[in-house]
Amino acid sequence: MDPSEVEFIAEKELVSIVPNFTNNEVHLISGDVGPFRAGLPVNVPIWMALNLRQRQKCRIIAPDWLDVEKLEALIEGEKSNRFFTKMPSEHYMVVAQLLLSAVDDDIPRVEEIRMAVKDLWDVRISKLRSSVDTFIKTGGPHARLDYLTTMEINSVRPLLPQALDFIDRLNKVLKKLTTFVFSLY
Amino acid sequence: MEDTFGEEDFLNEDEPVAAHEVLQTLEDAWLNEKFCPDLLPSQDMYVEAMMEQIQQMEDNLTKLKKTDFRVEVHHMELARIRYIITSYLRTRLEKIEQNTAFILEQESTRGPENAYMSEGELNFAREFLALQENHHKQLVLKHVPPPFQDFMSTQQSLVPNLRSHVFLRAKKDVNGVVIEGDRDTRDEEVDLEENSQHIMQYKPIANLVQDGSVQLI
Repeated sequence: MDPSEVEFIAEKELVSIVPNFTNNEVHLISGDVGPFRAGLPVNVPIWMALNLRQRQKCRIIAPDWLDVEKLEALIEGEKSNRFFTKMPSEHYMVVAQLLLSAVDDDIPRVEEIRMAVKDLWDVRISKLRSSVDTFIKTGGPHARLDYLTTMEINSVRPLLPQALDFIDRLNKVLKKLTTFVFSLY
Repeated sequence: MEDTFGEEDFLNEDEPVAAHEVLQTLEDAWLNEKFCPDLLPSQDMYVEAMMEQIQQMEDNLTKLKKTDFRVEVHHMELARIRYIITSYLRTRLEKIEQNTAFILEQESTRGPENAYMSEGELNFAREFLALQENHHKQLVLKHVPPPFQDFMSTQQSLVPNLRSHVFLRAKKDVNGVVIEGDRDTRDEEVDLEENSQHIMQYKPIANLVQDGSVQLI
């Protein structure tokens, strides 16, 4: 899947905004949003928040995990755990990227947050790589991937399933070959 | 102006489904189709219902003032929905083009009530196959000696690899999914807990994708 499609899916996540206008509920096909009261926070999908922000109709409130201390705690937790830990958002990487690039003056310490998110990603991806390595070497037919986010899964997408398919094909040939060799005796 | 965008119940009278549920179904179907090696049953009923909904929304939008902030928001949402629908339909057509003869053969074994392809897709597949066969004939077959002209298109067709690996998330608990072992490994049984994520071959979970117990991711 193209990363832009992962982003497309992530844009459905909700984010809190403070509108500077007042309006009734908006009835979107995907569900109702609002009502909007100037100065009062309201949850909207990210794609809508970005659009309203572009038109200077709102301020975006960063989700509480998008914070240097919280992210560092997540990194520590990730390092000390053998398995993947649960992320505060199914799309933490994309959400952080989208919000940080769109709203740099709404959120304090943007650069530090950006670095922390990147560090978190790096820790998780290197863990993912070593688990993939172990998984392929043990050759099991199945693996559990709890708490991996969509973007992380997508990063091993063409390679891992195809490698497994190929191993499967080689095994099939090997099986045929062994039966054939045995039939000669 | 009164807000005219009620979320209406639609999609046949006896079982009204809310618009956002239809959208969710389409989104799930889109991702499933994207990652599934085989062609899945068409959701054309939902596609049509959603197209109607889009049309209705567009009609309503013309009644709003251009300056209303809702206009742009609604237009953005419609564009997003259109993308899902077109991408879904395109993915299906790509599969049909790739495995034409195989898919047609499979389809002929199913009755019209549980057909996997919509009418349009079926016509497309038939025409595509005819064109392909004609092309082979014109280009090569009529120039080779008669014994070799007998060319079975079904034998040449690509067959989807059902043993290929997919990522999935369980939508509810499913116990005892059996993965066939090979060579010196024995069959393995896996329990899928709700919301757990896995990678494994498509074949053992094929029916679970269709009944909606698991979602491909």
